[in-house]
Amino acid sequence: MTSRRAGITAISSLFAAAICFLCLFLASSPAFAKVYIDITSPQAKKLPVAVFDLEGPGGNRIADIIRDDLTFTGFFVCLDKASFIESASQPFDPGNWTPLGVEAVVKGTVAGGANLTATVTLYDTLEGKAVFRKQYQAGSDLLRPLAHSIADDIYTALTGQRGVFRTKIAFVGVAGGKGGIYITDWDGRRMKKIGLRAGTVLSPHWSPDGTKIIYSAERGRQWSIYLLDFLRMTEKRVFTSAGINMAGDFFPNGNSFVFSSSRKGTPDLYTYSLTDGSVRRLTSSYGIEVSPAVSPDGRQIAFVSDRGGSPQIYVMNSDGTDIRRVTFEGSYNTSPSWSPAGDRIVFAGRRGGRNQIFTVKPDGSQLMQLTESGNNEDPSFSPDGRYITFSSDRDRTKGIYIMRANGESQKRITEKDLKALGPRWSPN
Amino acid sequence: MKRYWIFLVLLAVAISFGCKQRMVTKPEAQPAQQQKESEQMQTKAPEKVTEAEVGSKVESVGSREMEMERKEGKWPDILFDFDKYDVKPKYKDELKSVADWMTQHPGARLSIEGNTDERGTNEYNLALGDRRAKAVEDYLVSLGVPSSRIETLSYGEEKPVCTEHNETCWAKNRRAHFVILGEGK
Repeated sequence: MTSRRAGITAISSLFAAAICFLCLFLASSPAFAKVYIDITSPQAKKLPVAVFDLEGPGGNRIADIIRDDLTFTGFFVCLDKASFIESASQPFDPGNWTPLGVEAVVKGTVAGGANLTATVTLYDTLEGKAVFRKQYQAGSDLLRPLAHSIADDIYTALTGQRGVFRTKIAFVGVAGGKGGIYITDWDGRRMKKIGLRAGTVLSPHWSPDGTKIIYSAERGRQWSIYLLDFLRMTEKRVFTSAGINMAGDFFPNGNSFVFSSSRKGTPDLYTYSLTDGSVRRLTSSYGIEVSPAVSPDGRQIAFVSDRGGSPQIYVMNSDGTDIRRVTFEGSYNTSPSWSPAGDRIVFAGRRGGRNQIFTVKPDGSQLMQLTESGNNEDPSFSPDGRYITFSSDRDRTKGIYIMRANGESQKRITEKDLKALGPRWSPN
Repeated sequence: MKRYWIFLVLLAVAISFGCKQRMVTKPEAQPAQQQKESEQMQTKAPEKVTEAEVGSKVESVGSREMEMERKEGKWPDILFDFDKYDVKPKYKDELKSVADWMTQHPGARLSIEGNTDERGTNEYNLALGDRRAKAVEDYLVSLGVPSSRIETLSYGEEKPVCTEHNETCWAKNRRAHFVILGEGK
């Protein structure tokens, strides 16, 4: 992971987060060995923290974002400001916090103007000292990313894990009968449309370094696969043929991807090399083979096939050999996607006439249903594997939702009136 | 928008320094050095990338559709069962008349558009629509229509003729639809 990130060269806002994580790995100092909350334990009790409004213009908004981020994870309780004994201007005194059960305190200042400079300190109340003190700078229009960066650092300091508060979600938005790719912060803020519109647009897929997206669209009666490059800020058609062509995931090397195409008759799976444009066939069956998802190590592909009489999830080696069935319950299971650790596959399964989100181990065991209401589709994991984004029509117009990987805290992040589907969490 | 990207780069750099210094607990020793570093940062020219460039550089995709004459409604849609793509025997006569017409109009081209109901998921429905269109194509080819005169296109669940959420409607949407692309002579 580290070397992959090191290769990134510039601009996308994702880059900022990547660099930060890289630093964290390089500086993996023993001082961070203390883990305040073991989030890998299912019984972990929520860690009580106190986040002060930063002193200065916009400081309360920054603190609100930090509190929202930490609270959504389900690992923290942010103490109500009204119960603080210490004021923001008083020096940190652990004696003011331990009686309240607070284990970590966040204090800071922000200086405004065209550029924001925030200085934040995280205190450990039990040891009575600062865990870190750090300065952040950003243009005043980037208050939200600045706050998310602070939240990421707090999260990492307290859990020992990377945060995802700077990540993005790409999805398909439909307006006026035309679809297009949109990108939004993971919390649904700062949404914007990129690229061209088309009659029908399918779910985007991120390159492993987060600098590109491939997606499929029908334009001028032709299904093609398009590559959107954030470094070059270009969008181009990379593959087209007669029939349908639907992009799947990138391979970990970022130079090739898997897709489903009916160019030779029935929808089968192929790989496409962005390096030399070569196409390699992986499956050939009479039926439908669609929605290929590459495992994080690149060695396996999960996909949907109707070879057994109904659409089910299968897994095979990435050269097309050793096909085995994963789902057996229900007669309609589609849209598989891997967890970043490769230990679970999330998919949409039809139960009682509606589509719900499930996870299952790649060997077919430990099936878990995560949603109950409406139709829920197009699931994929966050890069840390702790959250899942999906689309749902539970509030009438189909929109983008996020939830914890165990199904808790389901929350719509796109506006009520925008038809949105096919979300994919950015890799960094 | 330019500013947006420039600040992102600056932020990235600022954060990267911040990370290295995260363990510093003596704030008073800090400012001078950080000031210096942020000055150094300013001298690095950020890449000037704007979102406006996306539209201008995008490869243009020719639209063949525009030049074509389209005639719909000559034959009723071929309907399918849920999650099925086999052509039912009851459409034998209709497909025979389509094949006969194609034989009588050697200059005509036929587009068969495959569709599904709204249930199920996007990509699988597109594949299903593709199979339905191809199943009808195969039938016509077996009756002697050259496959070179037929094109297929799947719209999946995107082009319903009926928009209510019930079986009556869904049944109408699970269809292969005929479009004549130019009648020739």
